[in-house]
Order: sequence, then C-alpha cells, then structure tokens
Amino acid sequence: MEIHIPDIVWAIINFLILVAILNKFLHKPVTKMLNERRNEVINNLDKAEKAKIDSEKMKDEYASQLQNAKSEAQEIIAKASKMGEETKNEIVTQARVEAEKVSAKAQDEIRLEKTKALAELRDEVATLAVLAAEKIISKSIDSKDHEKMVQDFVKEVGEAQ
Amino acid sequence: MFWTKAAYAAESGGTDHGPQILFSLFGLDVTSETTTMWGIMLLLAIASYLATRNMKRIPSGIQNVMEFAVEGIINLLSGIMGEERAKKYLPLLGSLFLFILISNYSGVLPGAGHTPGLKAPTSNWSVTLGLALVVFMSTQYYGVKERGLKYFKHFFEPLPFMFPLNIIEQMVRPLSLSLRLYGNVFGEEMVVAGLFALVPLIVPLPMMILGLLFGFIQAFVFTLLASIYIAEATEVHHH
Repeated sequence: MEIHIPDIVWAIINFLILVAILNKFLHKPVTKMLNERRNEVINNLDKAEKAKIDSEKMKDEYASQLQNAKSEAQEIIAKASKMGEETKNEIVTQARVEAEKVSAKAQDEIRLEKTKALAELRDEVATLAVLAAEKIISKSIDSKDHEKMVQDFVKEVGEAQ
Repeated sequence: MFWTKAAYAAESGGTDHGPQILFSLFGLDVTSETTTMWGIMLLLAIASYLATRNMKRIPSGIQNVMEFAVEGIINLLSGIMGEERAKKYLPLLGSLFLFILISNYSGVLPGAGHTPGLKAPTSNWSVTLGLALVVFMSTQYYGVKERGLKYFKHFFEPLPFMFPLNIIEQMVRPLSLSLRLYGNVFGEEMVVAGLFALVPLIVPLPMMILGLLFGFIQAFVFTLLASIYIAEATEVHHH
C-alpha cells in the first residue's frame, strides 16, 4: 500500500481528459436532447391544453346558441298564440257590440212604430166616435160644442188607455 | 493487511507486489492501471460517440442506455444541489461516476490483475487518491469561484477557533474518499482471488456477483460524497 506518484499524476491527467471527452460527446449532447425533449413535451401539453380550452369554448358557444334558438322558438310560439287569443277576443267583442247595437236599434224602431200606431189609432177612434155621436144626436150641437166634445173624448180615451 | 498482500502476490504468479511498470511516457512510469484507464477512456469515448452521433428524439439502443445513465446522475445530483447546479457540475461528477464504475468492473474481467496492462485502476490507492485530489481541488476551486472570499469564511464557522478542525476536515476528505474506494475494490478482489486459489470453479462466482453490486455502490458513494462536498462549498446562503 505505497503511493506511486506517476499513478496519481496519470489518474489526474486521464480523468481530466475523460471529463473533456465526455463533456463533448456525452454530457452536452444528452443534456441538450433532454432539454429539447422536455421543451417539446411542455409545448405539446400546452397545445393540448389550449385545444381543450378551445373545444370547451366552442361547446359552450354551441350550447348557448342552441339554448337561444330554443328560447326564441318558444317565444315565437307564445307570441303567436297570444296574438291568436287577442284576435279572437277582439272579434268576439266586436260581434257582441254589433249585436247589441242592432238589438238596441231594433227596439228603438219598435217603440217608435208603436207610439206612432197608437197616436194614429187614437185619432181614428176619436173621429169615428164623434161621427157616430153626430149621427145619433143629429145636428143639435154646434161646431163649438162639437170641438169640445171631441177634446173630452180624446182625453178620456187617452186616460183609459 | 500483510496476509492479503501475500495472497495477492501468490495469486498474481509470484510477481512483486510493487507497481508493475510497463514503460515510460513523457518521463512518467506507465503501469497496468494507467493502460487500463486508457482502455476505459477509449471505451467510454466510443460509447458516448456512438450514443450521441445521431441522436433521435425517441431514443433506442446505446443512446437509450447512455441517456438513462446521464439522466440518473442528473436526478441524483439534483436531489443534492438542485437542478441548476446539477447541470453545471454534471461534466465533472458524471464522468467521475462512469469512470469509477467501469474501473471497478474492469477488475471482474478475466485475467484482470494477472495480465500485464490490465488491472482495475481503482484497486490501486494511487489512482483513487488522484481522483480524490481532483475532487478536493475542484471543491476549493468552485467554492472560491462561486462565493469569492466568502468561501473562506466558512472555515471559521461556527466559531473562529474551529479553524484548525475545519482545515483538518478538508484535508481528511481526499484521504477517506480514496481509501474507502481503494479498500473496497482491492479487498473484494483479494477475496475473489483467495477463493479462486482455493476452489477455482463456481465458488468465487457469488463473490464476483456481489463484486458487481459493490462496484456500483462504491462508484455511487464516491460520486455522492464528491457532490455533497461541492454542493456545500458552492452553497449560496440567502438572507
């Protein structure tokens, strides 16, 4: 177990040369490759992440579009049915108003006709009565009395009615 | 310690237990440990080159193996010093782990220790001391680089009179690091060699399989401690 100086020197020289050789042919290229591969993996992961986010966004977009379309269709249907209801109500109301108007007019006409007929009848009856009385009591009553009698009679008839 | 050395000498064909000097390069003796280190460096360089020559986004084959190893080391270091510093000190600590691991395993190769030119580098204290000194120097260097003069302040903490103890602690680290690794690898090899001398067949096999586990654990522990030392030295306290 003695020290042999040339072996120490050779060991140091050889080792330093080996460090240089391995640095050039092993450590540098391998660390470079490891870094490249690592960067590539990171890049790919980033890309995948981005693609995932994009597709998620697109999915959300489509979902919201679908939702919009659905609610729009719902709205259109609701509007249409509301419009139909309104139109129906309007028509019915109008018809009712019209009918009422027609009925009121008819009643008015009837009342008018009735009043007119009654008046005519009253006149007729009075004249006839006077004529009959004239014939009965001959020409005993003068024109003035005659007038008065007709008036009374008319009055009576009017009250009797 | 004496008997293991004797057994080792007997096992390695009666050769001297001193360093086996093969030849000299730039005035430095080259031993079997050094040539094995060169082989390991070549192996790691070729494997790394093949793994990263034509990198695919989806890894396969050797690229997968080496990526797995580097990623595992980064994760280990990240747990100790955070991801940023883990990547910064990966070249040093990753190389340390791979180098020690393959060095430990080179001792399992047939003929390792007996064949000139092939011997597990980490079964030699000089080699592990060299590696531990690299860790020691790196720790001081990165400490000063990251924290400047403040780095030296922690030698006087928690109390100024602790300074000598702190210095001793720093100095002991390379010693404990190198001795732990050397002792484990050398001891494991000695046990295998001893068993092999007694019963050459099958009996040493369980020990050799355990040796693979120990080889990994020792590489792991060395790297773990080294990263803890560096993490401690480069820790920036936020107030």
